[in-house]
Amino acid sequence: MTIERSSLPRVLFSLVIIGLLVFLAAQFVRPAIGNPPATAELAAPPEVKRVLRNSCYNCHSNETQLAWFDQVAPAYWIAARDVKMARSHLNFSEIAKLPAAQQKGLLWEAVNQAQLGAMPLPSYLALHPHARLSDADLAVLKNYLNPPSPAPAPDDKAKTAADEQYNHWIQASGTKLEVQLSPNGIAYPQDWKNWKAISTTDRFDNHTMRIIFGNDVAVRAIAEHRINPWPDGTIFAKSAWQQQPDADGNTRAGAFLQVEFMIKDSAKYASTRGWGYARWRGMDLKPYGKDAGFTAECVGCHNPVRHNDYVYTFPLEGLQ
Amino acid sequence: MNAPWKKYLPAIACGLLVLAGCNERKPEAAATNHVAALTGQLPYNPLAWKPITTLTNRAAATTSTLYGNDAAVAYARSTAGAAYPAGSVLALVTWAERDDPHWFGAKIPGKPQTVEFVSIGAQPQYAVYRGSPLAQAASDQSGSRIDFILHLRAAVIP
Repeated sequence: MTIERSSLPRVLFSLVIIGLLVFLAAQFVRPAIGNPPATAELAAPPEVKRVLRNSCYNCHSNETQLAWFDQVAPAYWIAARDVKMARSHLNFSEIAKLPAAQQKGLLWEAVNQAQLGAMPLPSYLALHPHARLSDADLAVLKNYLNPPSPAPAPDDKAKTAADEQYNHWIQASGTKLEVQLSPNGIAYPQDWKNWKAISTTDRFDNHTMRIIFGNDVAVRAIAEHRINPWPDGTIFAKSAWQQQPDADGNTRAGAFLQVEFMIKDSAKYASTRGWGYARWRGMDLKPYGKDAGFTAECVGCHNPVRHNDYVYTFPLEGLQ
Repeated sequence: MNAPWKKYLPAIACGLLVLAGCNERKPEAAATNHVAALTGQLPYNPLAWKPITTLTNRAAATTSTLYGNDAAVAYARSTAGAAYPAGSVLALVTWAERDDPHWFGAKIPGKPQTVEFVSIGAQPQYAVYRGSPLAQAASDQSGSRIDFILHLRAAVIP
């Protein structure tokens, strides 16, 4: 007993020394972050850049500046991983390489992630409070993306294409299409057009309009206020059409673009947070995604509303 | 050394906590779109029907969805034209648009403005409901509204 007791400080001392050595050794494991030259930086007004620089650039650009405490492993490893992932998704130093529409889409997504409190990452903000976006900062970004503009004019070419699509569809009505499986194995739910509309959205950011259909399980869940989480068996179909302004000031549902599904099965789709995602595009209903990995996009985009069981839609009441 | 300000410490701490809470940006909680609910006495509940199409009006800042009973939906999705069979009922529900609390760049239904019904019998019958709760109102434009509603073609659903 006495021997053991007297050796305890020595053991502790050794552990501390080993810990220190491991810590020191860890400092030499340094995945490079690096700041390659900004080859195609975002072109935006100075006040917009100021907000982005202050809140986003540290991870989403080639101008990463680590604080001293970020330089120390293991914090450094987290920073290196976050910066790598951030740049791969959105890099303000290279964004101007992309087509204008895609740049704009990324900026809208960024503002939404910020508005929902998903970005900057809360863990990042805890240590870098200066990066927090104020309401005024958000307003700067929103005004930049959505300046007041005149109502869009009718587009004759788009109208002709939509008319043609409609005529084909009406003539072929009732013909069932052979639809391929989504790359993650989900079969096209043929019956969605007979479901009820749980909401509509006017997406002025990308000039589409949507009807979100819900199956019977979804409609019942809404009536019973059991929507967080939604019960297994819930399916949503979100159908999107091009916005088609007419001469009277109305905007109608133009050409059909795509239909997207969320299918709730907590066990089967556990790896995508309980929802199976699938999307079919165009009149030939071509499945979206090169392989099953496409669902990472879906999960990423729905993550900011994870506290709402990953669902963005505010369903209408009184559907029964 | 009992400084009088010390008794306010808990209150100050609570205040700071509240402020810190406000500073957090949190999405609006999962809820139904309560403000868009149709109130009042309507002859049918169009929301229980299937949608035929949707449209918006930017100047009026409204969003509308055209619903139909089964006969109307079957016709609209299979036939071009406005000759709905007898027994068809169409309902055009118009809401004021409101910003989508979950998505900057989207608008969703807000307060209901009107519910217009067109029933097909020997002659198309028109009725409009307005206000909160929705109540039947007179209209001097029933002819043009019937024409407008009957000519809204179905959104393409492959």
